[in-house]
Amino acid sequence: MDALILLFFTGLVVMFTAMLKKPQLVLVTSTFGIAASLGLVVRQILGSTSLITWSYQGLEFDSNNLLYVALVLFLGLLIVTSGYEAFKREPEHTGEYISLIIFSMVGALCMIGFTDMFMFFIGLEILSIPIYVLAGTNKKDIRSTEASIKYFFTGAFATGILLFGIALIFGATGSFDLKSIHDTIIKSVSFGPLIYVGILFILASFLFKVGAAPFHFWSPDVYSGSPTMVTGYMAAVVKLAAMFAFMKMFNYVFVGAISFWSDLLFAVIILTMFVGNLSALGQTKFKRLLAYSSISNAAYALIAMMVASSSTMNNLWIYLAGYGLAVIVLVTIGQMVNDSEDNISSFKGIGRKYPLIGVALALAVLSLAGVPPLLGFMGKYMVFSSAFNEYPILVIIAIVNSGIGIYYYLRLLMVALSSNENDEVREIKPSALQYLVLAVCGVLLVFGGALDYVLNNLISY
Amino acid sequence: MELLLIPLLFALIVAIAPKNLSKWIGLLGSLVTFIAVIARLAAFVPTEKVDLLHTDVITSFKMTFNMGYDGMSLLMVILTAVVVPLILLTSLNRSEGQQRGFNAMVLLMEFGLIGVFTALDGLLFYVFWELTLIPIFLIALWYGAEDRKRVLIKFFIYTFVGSLAMLISLIALGNLAKDFSYESLLEVTLPIKTAFWVMGGFFLAFAIKIPLFPFHTWQPSTYTVAPSAGTMLLSALMLKMALYGMIRWMIPLAPEVLEDYKYIIITLGLIGIVYGAIIAIKQMDIKRLIAFSSISHVGLIAAGIVLFTEQSLSASYIQMVNHALVAVGLFLAAGILEDRLKTRDLSEMGGIAVLAPKFAFWFAVISFAAVSVPFTSGFIGEFLLLKGLFYEHWIIGTIAGTTLVFGAVYTLRAYQLSMFGSPRFESFEDLKWNEIIVFAVITLLVVLIGLFPQFITDLIEPSLDRIYNYIHSVTFQAA
Repeated sequence: MDALILLFFTGLVVMFTAMLKKPQLVLVTSTFGIAASLGLVVRQILGSTSLITWSYQGLEFDSNNLLYVALVLFLGLLIVTSGYEAFKREPEHTGEYISLIIFSMVGALCMIGFTDMFMFFIGLEILSIPIYVLAGTNKKDIRSTEASIKYFFTGAFATGILLFGIALIFGATGSFDLKSIHDTIIKSVSFGPLIYVGILFILASFLFKVGAAPFHFWSPDVYSGSPTMVTGYMAAVVKLAAMFAFMKMFNYVFVGAISFWSDLLFAVIILTMFVGNLSALGQTKFKRLLAYSSISNAAYALIAMMVASSSTMNNLWIYLAGYGLAVIVLVTIGQMVNDSEDNISSFKGIGRKYPLIGVALALAVLSLAGVPPLLGFMGKYMVFSSAFNEYPILVIIAIVNSGIGIYYYLRLLMVALSSNENDEVREIKPSALQYLVLAVCGVLLVFGGALDYVLNNLISY
Repeated sequence: MELLLIPLLFALIVAIAPKNLSKWIGLLGSLVTFIAVIARLAAFVPTEKVDLLHTDVITSFKMTFNMGYDGMSLLMVILTAVVVPLILLTSLNRSEGQQRGFNAMVLLMEFGLIGVFTALDGLLFYVFWELTLIPIFLIALWYGAEDRKRVLIKFFIYTFVGSLAMLISLIALGNLAKDFSYESLLEVTLPIKTAFWVMGGFFLAFAIKIPLFPFHTWQPSTYTVAPSAGTMLLSALMLKMALYGMIRWMIPLAPEVLEDYKYIIITLGLIGIVYGAIIAIKQMDIKRLIAFSSISHVGLIAAGIVLFTEQSLSASYIQMVNHALVAVGLFLAAGILEDRLKTRDLSEMGGIAVLAPKFAFWFAVISFAAVSVPFTSGFIGEFLLLKGLFYEHWIIGTIAGTTLVFGAVYTLRAYQLSMFGSPRFESFEDLKWNEIIVFAVITLLVVLIGLFPQFITDLIEPSLDRIYNYIHSVTFQAA
């Protein structure tokens, strides 16, 4: 809880610091604030013997979700650090952009810690509204405006459906509180139509938020129109928070009705995998490729949710950590290349000219493709193997899809690593901060497999 | 542990060392590994199993960190440690050999290969198995021929999909076992239907890598576009991973259905023998010719492995070693021709024997080893394999026996077209010192194994017997 408050105040302070029009000051304040809240969370995680559970009016931070909170803060910190280079191009707005990101992270924290529908809804809105604004910050580019408007309208529509669903669930169970909804559903012998329709509506709005088919149409346009770092934030942090809320809602609250929604989710996952992977095959635009890859990754993550077991939380965490780190590497490099046309071909040869960037890119792409021993493979492996006993067909289809996915990841990698002497390689000027972010992500992607071991042994709840 | 750490460490050193030193550091690294392996061999008693790494750590997804070797693993490690220095030696005066990336990737490859051959945990095996794909892909991507991109994407996807099938099998097995260590996986008894699919997954992965007949389409084009060193790594070592994997992992993990798969694999192997040989006979591109001849040879080895008698197993093993050595020699010769003539087309060659007598001599020696004349290792291996197949059924033996005839036809035809006739070229640079060393070492080894095959059989037989007895006890119980 103190981390949440600290983060919120950091956002406020950053917003006022922005008035001084000194980008460096903004950077220092924001990274220091986020790092301090991260420190608070880590202290709370490591303080195993005296673990304090924060519980207050619909918010609860305990051992179940503190790891996710830490991940949100960490990924957000990386995004702010590496995005600084881009944000400072407009010195008068740097602070606003960064504070919007921080406020959105506050929303993400609420969406992780919520214990009633009300707080969930507020968290979702705090998370989303800054993103609607951030998507349109590339004011000179008409596609950025389009992204903002499109995201806002479709997002508002999805929120409406979500509210309708919450209202129906309230009507059926008489409560906003997750625990009592959970108990009511578990106890009821048969369900009325209110519950079914309510779950359906909530499911639809969640699928919209994580960008799963058939509610994925917004994401390629929004991802490709938004400024690159905002795209990265959407893919890494927003998806993480939405996935956790999704898991909490369906794997815990509606677990009593699993036989109803698991069939739906089953079909959605298969559809999403094929839509994401097959559409990505022909992409020539970098951020659109990222969008379709994010759609297919959402499908893999949803597989984790199909299984209600004690390890689901852990598996999903590893999976989303691997995905988030890889995406941050990709958007950081995309930011350096800074191509307004957003073509994959403008990555040509940068891996050979800048070997360190090449290594980071290769690690990120191979991790997304699921090549061992990188973190992305660990996540995929754990998600798939946990679901294999119950849904072998689903896992086999997912693995076939990983095979399809390797094609477009590999194509990106080959462009970046190609070594033709006569190619014209773009001049890029990576800053020290960006190198730092790439190095941190790269190291974590390689050794992240050991994270799981560390988590299980150092942290005893 | 030093077996794994030395190549990895040297790969890192090469990556950051000055560029003009990289080839020497790379060679040094591979030689140090070789010495370390020989030290291990000197201390090795064939009946024993030796642990490289043994911890009680079990990760939350049931992976253990067990690595070790017995005779059959050690032989493969030795083979790796012998072939990699040879490959680096051949690359000394090529353009790719000067590059840091190349030397680092070859050493990383060696690290991965030794890992594959010593992993005693299902997931660890999978990790190393996939790890070997990255360096070979990068070597071919950076230093390969012009039209490589399409070919390499096909190669990568093909092998990656195969590995994913193996991953499914491993997941299915691992969910039933208490952890992924080799012993725990062996203890699992599968229902027949599951066992069928589990072996199917392994088979797909290995069949693609070997490659067996309908899964071979990536191989000739990849061999052609990869630089010589890459081709040698692929044919001499990478496909041995799959053959080793069949003996170590595929058959012992799902022995219940070996009988069901036996004739499928033998049939595919036989088709490969004949099909590869016939295409090789008509082939005018020398690298493709060797690639197809390779399909023909490995078909025979795969058939020998699934035949699963004590004799056919050790014969397959000798043949694996022989094939690795001969493949390095043949691809070296092909690489020399391609480098100096700027063509791979046999119809444009001719008369080189007059211009380069040393090369003609050593190429002839390697060609004879490739057609398995007596007193070479190929003779022992093929003879025993064919004998085993004849005992199984005379039709199988006869079809497989054609490999001897066809092998002589395509190998000698390639030799004749390139070496004899009137010289088509004004000059042909004869062998350099490093190339002569490589040819001489290969010849020496091939002849030594041909004369004293018990060096190899003594080393591997206790471990092969262990697997053989295990399988027979399992299938006996089932029957």
